[in-house]
Amino acid sequence: MDTFVVSLLNGAVYGLLLFMVSAGLTLIFGMMGVLNFAHASFYMLGAYFAYALEGTLGFWGALVASPFLVMGFGVAVERYFLRRVHHHGHAHELLLTFGLAFICAELIKLFFGNYPVNYRIPQAIDFAAFTVGSVGYPAYRVFMGGVALAMFGLMYLLLARTRVGIVVRSAIYKPRMVEALGHNVPVVFMGVFGVGAGLAGLAGAVAGAFYTTNPNMALELGAMVFVVVVVGGLGSLEGAMLASLLIGVVTSLAVSIDLSLADLLAHVGARDWAEAVGGLFTLKVSSLAATLPFALMLLVLLVRPGGLLGEKP
Amino acid sequence: MIRSTRHAGFAVAALVLLLVALPHLLSQGLLNAAIQMLIAALFACAYNLLCGQAGMLSFGHAAYFGVGAFATIHAMKALGGAGLVPTPFLPLAGAAAGLAVGAAAGWFATKRSGTYFAMITLAIAELLHSLAPHLKGWFGGESGVSAMRMPAFGISFGSTTHVYYLTMAWVLACLAALYLYTRTPLGRLTLGLRENSHRLAFLGYDVHRVSVLVFALSAMFSGIAGGLQVVNNEAANYVLFDMQLSAAPVLHAFIGGVKVFLGPAIGAALMTFFGYAVSDLTQSWLLYQGILFVLIMMFMPDGLAGLWFRCAAWRARVGTLRAMPGLLAAISAALLLAAGTVFTVELLQRLFAQDYRALARAAVTQPWPSVHLFGRDWLPGAVETWLVPLALLAAAGVLAVIAKRMVRTMSYATEPRGVTASTTPLAQAGSST
Repeated sequence: MDTFVVSLLNGAVYGLLLFMVSAGLTLIFGMMGVLNFAHASFYMLGAYFAYALEGTLGFWGALVASPFLVMGFGVAVERYFLRRVHHHGHAHELLLTFGLAFICAELIKLFFGNYPVNYRIPQAIDFAAFTVGSVGYPAYRVFMGGVALAMFGLMYLLLARTRVGIVVRSAIYKPRMVEALGHNVPVVFMGVFGVGAGLAGLAGAVAGAFYTTNPNMALELGAMVFVVVVVGGLGSLEGAMLASLLIGVVTSLAVSIDLSLADLLAHVGARDWAEAVGGLFTLKVSSLAATLPFALMLLVLLVRPGGLLGEKP
Repeated sequence: MIRSTRHAGFAVAALVLLLVALPHLLSQGLLNAAIQMLIAALFACAYNLLCGQAGMLSFGHAAYFGVGAFATIHAMKALGGAGLVPTPFLPLAGAAAGLAVGAAAGWFATKRSGTYFAMITLAIAELLHSLAPHLKGWFGGESGVSAMRMPAFGISFGSTTHVYYLTMAWVLACLAALYLYTRTPLGRLTLGLRENSHRLAFLGYDVHRVSVLVFALSAMFSGIAGGLQVVNNEAANYVLFDMQLSAAPVLHAFIGGVKVFLGPAIGAALMTFFGYAVSDLTQSWLLYQGILFVLIMMFMPDGLAGLWFRCAAWRARVGTLRAMPGLLAAISAALLLAAGTVFTVELLQRLFAQDYRALARAAVTQPWPSVHLFGRDWLPGAVETWLVPLALLAAAGVLAVIAKRMVRTMSYATEPRGVTASTTPLAQAGSST
């Protein structure tokens, strides 16, 4: 029972982290129709910037500064790269961001080497926040979840309660009309892109210290984030939240399940046959943990192609 | 038109002759590179069937390449190492596996179009990538599967030359098939998918079914490429499903140019050759390739092949002699830009390498020791070290502006009406997504 609660909490925290990255992606997509392939690279850059600044600014200083650096980088990408190719169409923008993601990964390898770097949480905050049964629950995980929730709350308030939020939401809905009313829509786009990048950078800076920081982290998370937005429905923040939590919890719970299809088939007396076939049948669910989200995505595509909370295609 | 067709015919015939003569001209190492180039060319063309012709951007084509490779290695290992079919026909196993897996994956992926499609293909590739190491029976776990090529029809297939001819025959046959495909009604339908799938639906075609068919065919040819790779290497590992391999055909196809049939093949051959040629000199080849890709996406979206045709058209309009200065300026700008970039990247690469950092930490008297690069020692603290790349890049920029101005004034002088800006090849592909 204790392990169940712990994995549930772990899954929720991982899900919140996924949400931090996918929220920016979804917002950018909803606004500009651009699927930003480089979005997960912003996550990676956040972690690496925080690692590089840790020596001079200290852990907390780096945690604050790194998202702003990533935000500046995101603004530059929008202003000098994406805007230039905008008239070529969305496929072109997608390819350009793909190339940028590729360059980001290679540059990180150039500057920091093709191996995990030693970016860790400081000893001072490496303690248990509370105990579940006999297991201590790390405070840093609680902190990660808290950051994600605070960010969700702030973003919701900003979008739903402020004047800026109204302009942003209407720019998503009817950009030309908003422009005609005298708002500078390109600047709004640039701002949203920058904020989205900054959020991904914050997620990277926070999570990089807890998980590993290596040049492959963008790709690993990127594929998962795409799964989140397909499952949740592109452009829907609530969908992204739901799908992130679902995937986080499913992956985390699966790790602790020591069962295979053969065990299931044993109930109908087909264990020997299943074990003789081998392959997928004798594979433990725990080793499938990384695969389950993708299978979930295929399932969602099968029964609800628009995503859980997305509109009907 | 007839003249250009005949030109193309001659060029292709010359290319085939060159390919046939290649084993007598090259060393074993270079011949091996030629095999890799041929395989990459086929993979890129198979990818282009989906991406360039049908307008569906896939980011997970390594899945079908890998499946084809593993099917071929198992066919090679079957019947106690004797092989399911004689060695020359082994890639057929890759083709069958690619077709089957491609049809299944394509059925899911083509349920959505555009952006969703891209994400789903990526996720399917990652699904296989994460699953493969756990399925030891099929993919051999971390160590992979290996087998031996068996002699067939009196040919031993022991030497690189034999494998080269086998690969060449398969690649040429597949490229011919892919070219003939574009001439069939189905090939025209494929273009229709890219241009306007709604209209196809209104004409009574089942768009989903056509998309799945095109997807499966593209996966089949990718599977053949994977099979050829295995015939060459006699081993396969789950690393084949890596994202790096999915990125390769995307980069190759767009660098070469997706609007010309052989564009992706040319891009793939060039990139693979340079990758082989510079692999000893630099660790940053992928970075250069990425930079080239982004530059091409930003400034010449129709790729190298498109650039070539545009230059040829311009030359035909203004005459060779008058085109020369502009072309020379453009080429030297490109060379200077390349030189400046390479210098900067290589310098940084050496400065941030692990052994240099250790050296810098150990040196007490001089905190920043010099680095050896291009036959000279460069001090990281000296101004001229950074002045060289800056000067190269600045000169490249100035020359680029001059070249642009030359081309523009000359175009206006010969074409008083003023030719409108070049058409954008991906605009149509983009609007359908």
